[in-house]
Amino acid sequence: MSLDPSFMWEALLKLLEALPTTLAITAVSVGCGFLAGAAIALVRVHRVPVLHRIASVWVTVIRGTPMLVHLLVIYAGLTLIVDTLTGYFGLGWNSARIPMIGFAYLSFSITASAYCSEIIRSGMLAVDRGQREAALSLGMTTMQTLRRIIFPQALAASVPNLTNFVIGMLHGSTLAFVVSVVDINAKAEIVASTNWKFFEAYLAAAILFWAMTILLERAGGAVERRINRYRKGGVV
Amino acid sequence: MIRLTGIRKSFGKDEVLRGIDLEVGKGEVVAVIGPSGSGKTTLLRCVNFLERPDAGEIRVSDLRVDCARPSKKDIHALRRKTAMVFQQYNLFRHKTALENVMEGLVVVRKLPKEEARERGARLLEKVGLGDKLDAWPSRLSGGQQQRVGIARALAMEPEVMLLDEPTSALDPELVGEVLAVIRQIAKEGITMIIVTHELGFAQEVASRVVFMDGGVIVEDGAPAELFARPREERTKQFLRRLAPEYSI
Repeated sequence: MSLDPSFMWEALLKLLEALPTTLAITAVSVGCGFLAGAAIALVRVHRVPVLHRIASVWVTVIRGTPMLVHLLVIYAGLTLIVDTLTGYFGLGWNSARIPMIGFAYLSFSITASAYCSEIIRSGMLAVDRGQREAALSLGMTTMQTLRRIIFPQALAASVPNLTNFVIGMLHGSTLAFVVSVVDINAKAEIVASTNWKFFEAYLAAAILFWAMTILLERAGGAVERRINRYRKGGVV
Repeated sequence: MIRLTGIRKSFGKDEVLRGIDLEVGKGEVVAVIGPSGSGKTTLLRCVNFLERPDAGEIRVSDLRVDCARPSKKDIHALRRKTAMVFQQYNLFRHKTALENVMEGLVVVRKLPKEEARERGARLLEKVGLGDKLDAWPSRLSGGQQQRVGIARALAMEPEVMLLDEPTSALDPELVGEVLAVIRQIAKEGITMIIVTHELGFAQEVASRVVFMDGGVIVEDGAPAELFARPREERTKQFLRRLAPEYSI
């Protein structure tokens, strides 16, 4: 067995072309997942009638099924629905006009929403009840209390888990190749297919992912240190 | 000034308040004492709707709230007229001492930040924490945290201050500094309802003492009177158990 370092380097440079795709999928799914997750967590913590039951079923179903299944179901299901609808209304276009990456955005956001909601929910539950009471007793509204008192503390408590979650979504984004999106991983395959040096190409992809992960860990650590200044005293 | 009429509150089958009537005049300092489980903390928390009373009426100056049918606006208005000091301090953990005091001024009273900062600093100065403006609560002792809590409540210029066992969570050597601050603001004529176990302090600072047991007010009188010559048997028993020096 021989390793071709120069080809690995060459592959690495080529993989960089796919970097924006990987980053875009990760950013969109994390961003949308975070917003939807916060809403789901809020509904569940405050036990909003009816909605909190729907939310908990949503979380069980999404967390109970693999990310790849979400992607395939969205891909197959959405095209079917869109084609039926556009056909019915005679809109003159079909699901082929939906960019492939759109399926990845949507389905990974759905995946992320369930995981993220659990992270935020546990963060909210970690905030002492007295914090809310103190805010309300000052005359703050429920929204002001959430925004200024509960969420900042809940997020601070969630930073390690959120970092983990972002890393998970970054790695999970490789599944997008299934709907022919060319992310870093898919690019590695393409690069290697010319000379069959798959090992080098995959290693290059691994290095790239590892580098991004290290950056995310660093960033998470920095945010954690900054946000947790107030815990310095060590007294809970 | 503040009048509670027929306040009732149950937790499940457990009736904690069985019809409380209490009137507190402007500038009065009322100490509420009684055995644990007598409903005194619940009563205090009902006044600003941290607990929602099942029935009764709460009046604070011109505001009248029907507890059975309170509107959101009522509850909000009530909370703006009252301020609470908690047993566990409940300082906002992600805000410094000064930010804790400023929070209500900026968010609820809509004061400009500079003005809030100035007033906050002045109040912290007043409770003896002029050198701790930028300290995180986690870096403060219990006594210091509670004094920030008092400053935070005072900042809102409430019509009545509600103090829920303000020294119960403190180490014995820290109780004095907090009581000193409460004593000082009592002298300034701020209306207060204090739930406390510090009978000596109640006698010294309160203009009236209310003894509660089993969800009702058993006895209500001037401290000297109530401590020296309790009329009710339950009061006598309580005082004998808790403060033998008062029993005759």
